[in-house]
Amino acid sequence: MNPAQGPIFNTEEHAQELTILERVWRHPRGIFGWLSFTTHQAIGMRYIVTAFIFLLAGGIEALLMRTQLAFPNNTFLGPDRYNEIFTTHGTTMMFLFAVPVMEGMAVYLVPLMLGTRNVAFPRLNAFGYWMYLGGCLFLYWGVFTNTAPDIGWFAYPPLSGPEFSPGKRPDFWAQMITFTEVSAMCVAAEIIATIFKMRAPGMSLNRIPMYCWSMLVQSFMVIFAMPAIMIASSMLLSDRTVSTHFVNPAEGGDPLMFQHVFWFFGHPEVYIIFIPALGMVSSIVISSSRRQVFGYTAIVLSLIATGFIGFGLWVHHMFATGLPQIGEAYFTAASMMIAITSGVQIFCWIATLWTGRLRMTAAMYFVFGFIAIFVLGGLTGVVLASVPLDLQVHDTYFVVAHFHYVLIGGALFPLFGAFHHWFPKMTGQMIDEKLGKITFWILFMGFNLTFFPMHILGLKGMPRRVYTYPPDMGWAAASGLATVGAFVIAIGGLLFIANVLWSRKHGKLAGNNPWDADSLEWAAASPPKNYNFAYLPAVTSRYPLWVAPEDQVIVTGLRNDRREVLVTTLMDAEPHHRYVLPPPSIWPFLTAVAVTIGFAGSVFNAWYITWGSILSGICFIGWFWPRRPVELEP
Amino acid sequence: MTGTRTIDVSGLKPWNISIQAPLWWGQLSIILIEATMFSILIATYFYTRLRMDVWPPPGDRFPGLLLPSLALIPLILSAGGSYLASEAAKKNDRPGMIIGLGLNLILAILFFVLRVIEWHSLNFNWMEDIYGSFVWAFLGLHSFDYIAGLVETVVFLVIILGGRYAERERLGIHVDSLVWYFIVGIWIPIYIVIYWGPHLVETAQ
Amino acid sequence: MTAEPMKPATLVSTILLLVLNGCAGHQQSAVDAAGPQAGRIETLFWFFLAILGAVFIIVMAAAAWTLTKRHRGIEQEPLERTHLPPPQTETRLTRVVTIATIATVVILFVLLVSSIVTGKGMAEFANSKNPMVIEVTGWQWWWQVRYQNSDPQQVLDTANEIHIPVGRPVMIRGTSQDVIHSFWVPNLHGKRDLIPSRITTEWIEADHPGVFRGQCAEFCGLQHAHMSVWVVAEPGDKFQAWFNSQLQPAPAPTDPVLQRGQQVFLNYACVYCHTIRGTTAAGQNGPDLTHFGTRQGLAANTLPNSMGNLGGWIVNPQSVKPGNHMATIAVNPDDLQPLLQYLQSLK
Repeated sequence: MNPAQGPIFNTEEHAQELTILERVWRHPRGIFGWLSFTTHQAIGMRYIVTAFIFLLAGGIEALLMRTQLAFPNNTFLGPDRYNEIFTTHGTTMMFLFAVPVMEGMAVYLVPLMLGTRNVAFPRLNAFGYWMYLGGCLFLYWGVFTNTAPDIGWFAYPPLSGPEFSPGKRPDFWAQMITFTEVSAMCVAAEIIATIFKMRAPGMSLNRIPMYCWSMLVQSFMVIFAMPAIMIASSMLLSDRTVSTHFVNPAEGGDPLMFQHVFWFFGHPEVYIIFIPALGMVSSIVISSSRRQVFGYTAIVLSLIATGFIGFGLWVHHMFATGLPQIGEAYFTAASMMIAITSGVQIFCWIATLWTGRLRMTAAMYFVFGFIAIFVLGGLTGVVLASVPLDLQVHDTYFVVAHFHYVLIGGALFPLFGAFHHWFPKMTGQMIDEKLGKITFWILFMGFNLTFFPMHILGLKGMPRRVYTYPPDMGWAAASGLATVGAFVIAIGGLLFIANVLWSRKHGKLAGNNPWDADSLEWAAASPPKNYNFAYLPAVTSRYPLWVAPEDQVIVTGLRNDRREVLVTTLMDAEPHHRYVLPPPSIWPFLTAVAVTIGFAGSVFNAWYITWGSILSGICFIGWFWPRRPVELEP
Repeated sequence: MTGTRTIDVSGLKPWNISIQAPLWWGQLSIILIEATMFSILIATYFYTRLRMDVWPPPGDRFPGLLLPSLALIPLILSAGGSYLASEAAKKNDRPGMIIGLGLNLILAILFFVLRVIEWHSLNFNWMEDIYGSFVWAFLGLHSFDYIAGLVETVVFLVIILGGRYAERERLGIHVDSLVWYFIVGIWIPIYIVIYWGPHLVETAQ
Repeated sequence: MTAEPMKPATLVSTILLLVLNGCAGHQQSAVDAAGPQAGRIETLFWFFLAILGAVFIIVMAAAAWTLTKRHRGIEQEPLERTHLPPPQTETRLTRVVTIATIATVVILFVLLVSSIVTGKGMAEFANSKNPMVIEVTGWQWWWQVRYQNSDPQQVLDTANEIHIPVGRPVMIRGTSQDVIHSFWVPNLHGKRDLIPSRITTEWIEADHPGVFRGQCAEFCGLQHAHMSVWVVAEPGDKFQAWFNSQLQPAPAPTDPVLQRGQQVFLNYACVYCHTIRGTTAAGQNGPDLTHFGTRQGLAANTLPNSMGNLGGWIVNPQSVKPGNHMATIAVNPDDLQPLLQYLQSLK
């Protein structure tokens, strides 16, 4: 944005305003300052970088597992270590990588796309990040002290209960959940408030960028799904630490109840991960095909429908427990319906690509990879929805193949596409496209080499979660192939890191809008200033940057000497009032530390809940206490 | 964007104490989360209850009905105090806020005293059996929310009494009333589950 | 793999069939049905595979077409100003996408109906007359097996190896002693979880003789990988003979070495967990060993049943199956040989 070109601006006055904005939005200095950041770009980037580190950790765990399974009767890892590693791998990938990285991308991108300066609750945002980091450190504290959970990422009782898992391993799993859930809920609340109330003037509901729609749906799913896992993990934890009987079969507790509650969360969790990815795909498709997306309404409705249906099919994870047949038919039908909503989106994207002017960027390669892998994963999902077929392939390598096709294909490929697509925006430099395309091919081939043979392993009767297998089962060849593939994926990952590092150093300058894309984040500087826009944009179209420059509109009259943003109405985004965001603050960090003490300590002694509550109560009061006059004046 | 057309918003008010505030929506999200949590807990209660022949398990005395039912009166009235405070906050009426919050606080404490007395008379604890686990979980979780809400009320009262407040704090009082309505409102179904649930099913048998 | 005539001969399934067939291993495969239940599922699977394979190919072709289009005159439609193709193109796309969506719905409906019909067919098995009832109880990490009968004299206890008569429906009544396990013999049927405090049922039947391997399919702790079961399907008379001999208590040994072996067994801690009918050993925490010598495997079929393996297992169970619950008993070297010989003699 370069408002100085407009006739209404006095250049000198403009420069002055910019100086004030710079000063007001400046990051505080020093280590305490660093702990006090509240800008969404900084917090978003922290999420992304942290999550990426745990992607690497989860990846290393995957390589260890694949090494163990490369040969029959291998003794590289014993059963104990293997169980810890496969549990940690699943837990890390779901809770410490996939969900947080999607949150991080949203925290970074959503305010930019909506044309505002920050998320609605910047300090809650910082608190959410610190809680997430607390969860990461907590789980890996367990990993490095030989108390990594060894009960699977689903932690079914009674195996995870006090009788069959003495020690502290499942407690680390259960309490890590609490950390990351708190973080996810913080992000969900602020994303909803931001999208509802802080859109650029004129951005009525039918002009919200597709990615923001997907994050809105995802946030609502978090709100309704995450409490379930909180209940499930808390029941397990209290059974283990204070001798309640929620899931204790000996006292009338039912292990199946835990499964119901767990999967009431667990299935939506998958959509919580891949719905944001669908939004990323839409963004990349629109900007790379250089045409308006075909079927905006259809895609948005599909996203919303996916969000609803996602809560009605958890039981397909439990077909083998022997449920009444009528229930089975319902859950089969509901599970298959997801194929319709996903199908509509795939069709709309293909239609958009057909009639657009396709530019094959590296990001677009990942989108095509996504379509290929995700469609296959979706189709095997239809297989799993069928009760008779599920009874055979459930808990076999077929399922392992299926959900890696859905999660890696459906979420990781779009995410890598998004990294390549938004890298110029986040860093100000172009990422090397050629290297990006090579990365894609290595990842794509490595992925299929690893996971396609697993379909066959499953049909040939290989169960999941076995630390080894006998040589005469006919599983060795496919298993060995999968191991080779896993290392190929690792090479692809390293290449991506190399590309990022190289491009940070040598990448050419990107400019504001290198892709000639449509949405508002491309109107901000690359990388964005802390305040994103010198003047907030207003929009007159679903594709604001494709509107002729003379028709583009900006907002004036916000006070720049404090962190002021514009609040607009829910439906039509009419300007409603101005709103002052808080300055940087150390309180979110201190509060997170207090809560962490409570959570982490309670694993060892239930009284820590009380001490933690009192401490964090004090911190919350400090957080809320009235601030300096400039924030108080109207 | 090289906009030549502008929207001037300098005439808009800098705060708004109403449903339009982002904070109101954020608080609503948090309330939805907690409501979902309690709903799931209630669902698991009935799931477990339907698997048991005798409920509560032998040896557990039924929780009393009188005290908890009486306690509903101050509880519901305390929401009225919260409402008064919230309306006063909109109008920046300091005495109104103090009276509303004070009313809220006194009635809320009265309710909690009654709860603790009743709670104390239970002849089982959370370790006894699964029924005990559920009852204590309901009471414990709700009390946790309740105390947090009380502390919030006290903090607001202190701030308003201190006189060093502005729009931000008034918006806080308004949004806090939402929290208190939730804490009061969610207690009604939980009250029915804990105190009436066993009776109703017992009669049906 | 038996050649069933009804398998659809689509390209994909043929290739997959070859792959699956090519590396024949043990009998533990979901696509090599040996009974009506697994047969129904297998048929359904090939049906799904054919349809879904076709869908995959069509969608991939549609996606790939966008790549060729790029080189074929797409530049003729100027998009600069509106970023939107002409209305007739949009109308055409709407039609295509609508048709594709309707096709998706129809296909899914067909699959749904076929799945429900298959499920109903499998459920009707529960009405079979004259079924045999076998109780399977999961333990960490072995299978307790009890042949139920209204006549207590005909109730048979064994472990880790199930014999069934060909052509007779068998009801598996499953539960668990400790954590959740899952009973799964893929050649005969899908899996059914064994859940503590609950009883689940599954109906199986073998339509030809054979030996089929099954394995626990719900993660159950350290030795989840080594919890397998053999199902031996035999013609009715052969099965009856096996059953009758298994019903007998273990014969009293006459050979002095075997007698010594029996004494060793009874004097060591073995008796706290194991039962040998016909002796005073009546432990209830481990597999029944009355006819141990007839079984194919030991340690829940972790190893083939041989004298050498048995010796290694008894002397150091933790090296064979780390974490398992069998006590490590310091057996006097002089006692070991008689013990092994005695156990192997329990035919």
